[in-house]
Amino acid sequence: MNKKVRKLRPSDYWRIGEHESWFQDMAAKGLHLKKMGMYFAHFVKGKPQKMRYRIDVSLKKKMTPEQIEMYADSGWDYVTGYQRFHVFSSPVELEVPELHTDPAEQSFTLKELDKKLVFNAGMVAVAIILMIGMLSAIWFLDGTPTFVLVEGMAIQQTIITIFIGYLAYISLQAAISIRALRKDLTAGKPIDHHAPWKRHYQLNSMIALVFTIVVGSSAILPFAQLVKGETKTLPESSLDLPIVRLADIEQNLALVRGESSYMRDGVDWDNRYTYNWSPLAPIQYESDENGVVPGKMWGDGSGEYSPSIYTRVYQLSIPAMADNLIADLIKRYRYEYSDDDFVESKHSDLDLLIVHDEDDFKEVFASKGKAVIYVRYYGYADINSVIENILDKIKLITE
Amino acid sequence: MAYNGGPMTEAMYYVLLALMHPSHGYQLMHAITEVSNGRLKMGPGTLYGVLSRMQKDGLISLAEDDGRRKTYQITSEGEQALRTEYSRLKSLIQDGSILEVGDKNE
Repeated sequence: MNKKVRKLRPSDYWRIGEHESWFQDMAAKGLHLKKMGMYFAHFVKGKPQKMRYRIDVSLKKKMTPEQIEMYADSGWDYVTGYQRFHVFSSPVELEVPELHTDPAEQSFTLKELDKKLVFNAGMVAVAIILMIGMLSAIWFLDGTPTFVLVEGMAIQQTIITIFIGYLAYISLQAAISIRALRKDLTAGKPIDHHAPWKRHYQLNSMIALVFTIVVGSSAILPFAQLVKGETKTLPESSLDLPIVRLADIEQNLALVRGESSYMRDGVDWDNRYTYNWSPLAPIQYESDENGVVPGKMWGDGSGEYSPSIYTRVYQLSIPAMADNLIADLIKRYRYEYSDDDFVESKHSDLDLLIVHDEDDFKEVFASKGKAVIYVRYYGYADINSVIENILDKIKLITE
Repeated sequence: MAYNGGPMTEAMYYVLLALMHPSHGYQLMHAITEVSNGRLKMGPGTLYGVLSRMQKDGLISLAEDDGRRKTYQITSEGEQALRTEYSRLKSLIQDGSILEVGDKNE
């Protein structure tokens, strides 16, 4: 068996002259075209031969046997085809007449392709507009782009949109180029069968490589997040994790864990911590903890005193994102409160400290180095107790 | 583009001319070379394109189709179009005759 060689196509499939010239150059090196795919062409190794290659565009998807036979009778052998593009070859020494002797007539063969490409370009344009619309909803609808980015939710969609955008650009370019080629042919200007192909080759290989890597890794991303992420019930004992604990804030030995209102898969979702991973925040924790002090009542008499705490913790890859992340977290968890309720405070051990204090409801946003911690606490403990506990935990992930 | 009765392309004109006698692919190519006195060597791609287009426009039709080889013939509509084009070309030549008179005067 002769050895098969697979090569990336030097340029976009619709650059007819460049492909003809490429096949000819390959045959001269002993690589004879066998098959053509969307991005690759297969060659069979053999003796170097001076060949002429011509690409003929068919009106329908398939070439009729009649057409193939007619070409063969004139010395043009069918090699292969991909979609409407069919390749014929003839040894140079045979000096058979050109496949197309009348450029104006050849322009008619591109009519159907032209229509199809314009239609495609239109479809892809609509698709990309829809995708950009959806994407900007994810990114900007609640105005928290940094949060979205850090959580890693929209990275894949963004990359896919960029990819589709690139495809849209290519299909637009295809439609414009084929239209231009038709015009040239109608005006009597034949296709250049020796068009230089090296110009597009490097660029094309680079783009292919970059897209394979980026799209490939972005496809893995959601799976990585699924595999890495996990939720567990918070143990009552202390943990070596950067999570602020209810018992540390309450400082009340009578505090016990509240009854769970939601159990699933063996996890008590009222007292849980979730680990997550994303490229921009490789360490993320989210935790809920609920407690009760038997016998003690809420001040307004609404029932037994049951403090709770919710924590979000991030260790960022890029520390410079901390301020924006905090701004986004405030926006996301602000609910009915106004921006004025969130007061920036100073602390020598923190880069940024923002507090929101409403007697039995306290929120603290803090950052230091790579670490960002957000705590939402319902209870009577002092806000300074919350801040002290954050200081204690944030040390674990600052670096 | 459907044929609208306007001036024909050279390829169309000669294919119609050659099809005054029913003919098929390869043979047709030779017939064209012959009928144009060797002036026109039409490539198979061009010929096939012209044939499928003119068949669609009803200027030619299939005389025979044994599955492998299709024989084409001119239709009456095609012949009429060809004759119209011929007389148009003739008047073009006649109008150009002043050039020949000019030559003689030199």
